[in-house]
Amino acid sequence: MKFWEIGKRNLKEIYRNPVLLGFLLGMPVAFMVVFCDAAGGGQASPIALSVVDEDHSQTSSVFIQYLGSVDAIELNESIYSEESQAQEDLEDGRISLYLLIPSGFEEAKQARQTVNLELAYKEADPMIGLLLKPMIEAVGFEFLGAAAPLNVELKGTESEIKNPAVNFYFPGIAVFGLMILVSTAAEIIAGDREKGFLSRMFTTPARPWDFILGYSLPFIPVLIVSTLIYLGVGMALGLTIVGNLGYAFLIFFLIGLCSIGVGMIVGSLVKSESQAGVSWLFVVPIAMISGAWFTVELMPSALKSVARALPFIHAIDASRAVISGSSFSAITLDIYWLIGWAVVLFAVGIVLFRRTMVS
Amino acid sequence: MNAVQTLKLTKEFDSLVAVDGVNLEIKKGELFSLLGPNGAGKTTTIRMLCCLLKPTNGTASILGHDVVKTPFAVKKLIGVSPQDTILSERLNCWENLALIGKVHGLSSDEVARRSKELLETMGLMERAKDQVRKFSGGMKRRLSIAMALVSDPQVLFLDEPTLGLDPQARRAIWEYIAELKGKKTILLTTHYMEEADFLSDRIGVIDEGRVVALGTSQELKTNLLEMRSMVVSIENISAEVMEDLQSKYSRLEMTKGRLKIYHKDLDFKEIVDYLHSRGVTVYSAALEQPTLEDVFIQITGKKLRD
Repeated sequence: MKFWEIGKRNLKEIYRNPVLLGFLLGMPVAFMVVFCDAAGGGQASPIALSVVDEDHSQTSSVFIQYLGSVDAIELNESIYSEESQAQEDLEDGRISLYLLIPSGFEEAKQARQTVNLELAYKEADPMIGLLLKPMIEAVGFEFLGAAAPLNVELKGTESEIKNPAVNFYFPGIAVFGLMILVSTAAEIIAGDREKGFLSRMFTTPARPWDFILGYSLPFIPVLIVSTLIYLGVGMALGLTIVGNLGYAFLIFFLIGLCSIGVGMIVGSLVKSESQAGVSWLFVVPIAMISGAWFTVELMPSALKSVARALPFIHAIDASRAVISGSSFSAITLDIYWLIGWAVVLFAVGIVLFRRTMVS
Repeated sequence: MNAVQTLKLTKEFDSLVAVDGVNLEIKKGELFSLLGPNGAGKTTTIRMLCCLLKPTNGTASILGHDVVKTPFAVKKLIGVSPQDTILSERLNCWENLALIGKVHGLSSDEVARRSKELLETMGLMERAKDQVRKFSGGMKRRLSIAMALVSDPQVLFLDEPTLGLDPQARRAIWEYIAELKGKKTILLTTHYMEEADFLSDRIGVIDEGRVVALGTSQELKTNLLEMRSMVVSIENISAEVMEDLQSKYSRLEMTKGRLKIYHKDLDFKEIVDYLHSRGVTVYSAALEQPTLEDVFIQITGKKLRD
């Protein structure tokens, strides 16, 4: 159990280093609060909104006028009378989203029955829909009177989701947070290599895999604690977990392993002074093209294929999907992809360690 | 079987030959020092013996196990204290010792017993539960040596064990190493001649990758030192007298009223009388005991700490 001893030592080096630990756990939390608040808070620039009025009633036109008076919404002057027209325009890109006021709107309001509204957006750009939903709800409640039943449905997303923005941002930021492990793992290994600690350990009977396990195992408690913290913060900010939490955990765990693997490789190749630069040079662009912070549907296809080849986008997509209720079969391929990457990265790590042991 | 044996051990880095055909035979229980200036190839030799560097040529074995073919058999037998004091900074003494002990396969009980012994001997017990990053250089070095010993290795490598320490700390470490003599085979490297002189059973003088002299301290001094030296404090010496002396003796060094004369045989009285007769004021004069430094200068033509 040599790896166990090396692992224990590394875990102590991590949790006894408050700066490292604070960075590792604190930064993603700060990011999450900033992103989810900024998105969920409704303080956005005006969003262009088209309206389909199928009710053709006085109430519906008053409601449309009411919508137009909201600062955050820029209402298109022409009002569609049928949804098919709006759908066509949406597909052709003339409009980015529309609000459907179905027939029966006036009746429902008068009868104090649930008023249904539907917000349709292009698949390619879900964020506008996610941003607008809480606004429409707020405006709707104001218009209908505080206690009135209102249901704004987002086309394409689960209606159980309380705050779609949080559900959109959370998985990306959690995966980005786990990508910080790249830098942390690299830091510990590069530092130990340069200070000669690894050389000293290489004079003991420990084998390459003892080192690989010894340097990755201590990150597993870190990984579990970080994921729990992210989930806690996410839920406090309004994350709705519709699907299976266990699957989400599995995905975060696997992407964490991949990050540790990348970190071990960076750490055994690069000096510790340039480690941070190299790690971040890797983490930031890849987080970006993997959709950690915003949707990547509109990204050029070449970049998209790069992102698809790497594990991170799979973790983000799959965790978004399972949190919002997808079944395991929908994410099986992503899981295989993640496992494959983890195996490859650890194998490369062992080869590199074997090489560093004797020069 | 020798504890350490090397045959034409050579290491080249690109165009630089760091270790050049070193032959060593260190017997079990012997304390052997490699003495040489910085860059002589001492650490490179140790790194090859510890399986950290692959020799370019030649072979080396520890208690019969080849360092290239059976590195893990070798690693089980050795304890190493590297030149730079390398510890886990955020671990305390117990934890640092336990790490090395357990990686060598010791049980928790054994580790605890050995650690206690070593911490007491090294005078670290009082601070044993403190994280070592707060320690002084001397304390760290003592712990580093304890870490090399915790697995009770048969062969111990100490690379510059007192480098950069103050005289008091150095003396304490010497005393401890001296206690180990006969119990362990020790290969020590140093560029402090006093250290090699004080501790070693045998000394190998190493320069530019080659072992240029080998023997006990006494053997090196008597056999190799063809010249003796004498130091005279003087005043009023003329150029003529200096010329005269130069023609008689092998080498002269004159610094701030201090004349050092080197020659195979030196007659104290003859020199002092001669100086008096030429009107030179002599304040003091003494024949010098040869040191390893003299041996080193003699062999390599340069000083140890150049």
